[in-house]
Amino acid sequence: MADYNKPIPIPDPMTNGPYWEGAKQGKFMLPRCTSCNKVHFYPRIICPNCGSRSLEWIEATGEGYLHTFAVQHRAMGAWAEEAPFVTAYIDLKEGDRVFTVLRGVDPTKPEEIFKKIGALCRVEWDEANDAVSMPYWRLVG
Amino acid sequence: MANNPSKAAAIIAAGEADQIGYLETPKTDMMLGVEAIYNACREAGISTKDIEGIANPGGANAYAEYLGIVPKWVDTTAVGGCSFQIHLAHMLAGINAGMFDIGVIVNGQAGYSRRNFPRGGAGGGGGDPLGPDAQFVNPYGTTGAPSQYSHAMTRHMHEYGTTKEDFAEIAVNTRQWAMLNPRAVMHSKETNPNGGPITVDDVLNSRLISWPLNLLDVCLVTDHGGAVVVASAAAAKSFRKPPVWVAGAGEAIGHQTMLEMKDFTATSAVASSQRAYKMAGMGPEDMEMAMIYDSFTLTVGITIEMLGLTRRGEFPSLVKNGNTAPGGKFPMNTNGGGLSFNHSGMYGMQLLVESYRQLSGTAEDGIHGIAGKQTNANTCIVNGTGGTLSATGTVVLTRD
Ligand SMILES: [Zn+2]
Repeated sequence: MADYNKPIPIPDPMTNGPYWEGAKQGKFMLPRCTSCNKVHFYPRIICPNCGSRSLEWIEATGEGYLHTFAVQHRAMGAWAEEAPFVTAYIDLKEGDRVFTVLRGVDPTKPEEIFKKIGALCRVEWDEANDAVSMPYWRLVG
Repeated sequence: MANNPSKAAAIIAAGEADQIGYLETPKTDMMLGVEAIYNACREAGISTKDIEGIANPGGANAYAEYLGIVPKWVDTTAVGGCSFQIHLAHMLAGINAGMFDIGVIVNGQAGYSRRNFPRGGAGGGGGDPLGPDAQFVNPYGTTGAPSQYSHAMTRHMHEYGTTKEDFAEIAVNTRQWAMLNPRAVMHSKETNPNGGPITVDDVLNSRLISWPLNLLDVCLVTDHGGAVVVASAAAAKSFRKPPVWVAGAGEAIGHQTMLEMKDFTATSAVASSQRAYKMAGMGPEDMEMAMIYDSFTLTVGITIEMLGLTRRGEFPSLVKNGNTAPGGKFPMNTNGGGLSFNHSGMYGMQLLVESYRQLSGTAEDGIHGIAGKQTNANTCIVNGTGGTLSATGTVVLTRD
């Protein structure tokens, strides 16, 4: 983990504790509303779909589909050394969406990635420090 | 609509800072804003001490104090670059309710000169370190608006088959308007080494910023001060210039972080424009020109569709063949836009200044023998977008 040189978020233990605890064990955790049964992301203390505060955490499949992407040619800090790299929004199998840096794609060929919109992606984890493992998604479909 | 406030207020003057663009000698946000207020009040024929209502994103109190006024009405709505369209909507409501008669909407923003200021000066970003962007977006190396808006452009291309060339047409048309505006940064080779005419190929061959956005798809970062004076209908008739009526106004918020943008090819401008059209009793077919927030070519493409100027996915039909360029059938972004005129960070102020000037017949900036940019439009739809395609404000302006 010593070689993780990218920005590391400060976990919010009040709202997102189970999310970051799960991440450390390689589990992709999502809040799910027990009133309307929908998951949501980013995690909140109230369901944005129905307004209920009856929420539970579930372990999600860690699979989803490429919704859209961009190739970043300009970045700051440690990310600048990686440019160009691909960022993407992933539609989760369980519902809602996450943002990530997408792996398994060639940033110099955006037209090829474009053809992969809708393809299957899977989460993987980089241990960043003792408290945080960072999810990255890989195009597998 | 009960007690419809349509045309209860009018814009009666607009002003800009004494110098705008890339300033050689930096000015603070406040200096730029106060210069604009002073110039707008002079044009209206009033004193700054006559101002009864004041609006600025976050800073209305500072402006009031600086000018030595004690306003009856204040609005500090700060939802990004469209704040000024929303201020105008709120001013219309406040004036209609009889709360005040003369208001000013102002912004001063040293978007370019800020880099020369002492550390700790104004600057965006940061935000709550425990907030959703800080936890789930920013750690992935994105660097502000361009790196996020590009995802929406990819999705638009995917869903509708639009191309980078289609979006580039917007930049080309807008540059042609800038060439008629001597205050535009990209007016000519004299104003900037990169100024003067551009082609679609120039856009496509410019440096990649965040694919599919190239450098010439992206707005400038400049200094600007702008202000408009807004008056009640009764007061407006006593001023020297013809009033530009606020016929309709609407506001809407879709999301804050792009994580929550459900449909990447749609913004809340569909809602804010429908509210504005309804208040005005008009529709897209009645609009004779448009001033649309062009942070990026993508923003314009989507917004054209949201305002009902074309159907979804069909913005290229409006911008092709120079239709929105000078001499085209539908003038759009006649100041040269944020792409080629001036974008200080929150560009909605520039939109109000230019749309007032067009409809009041004071848009003629032509000097040195260059033909001016004045159109003969009688109606204008003005739309601002703030945040990451997040908030929108739409106003419908008309003249007698
Ligand atoms: Zn629910």
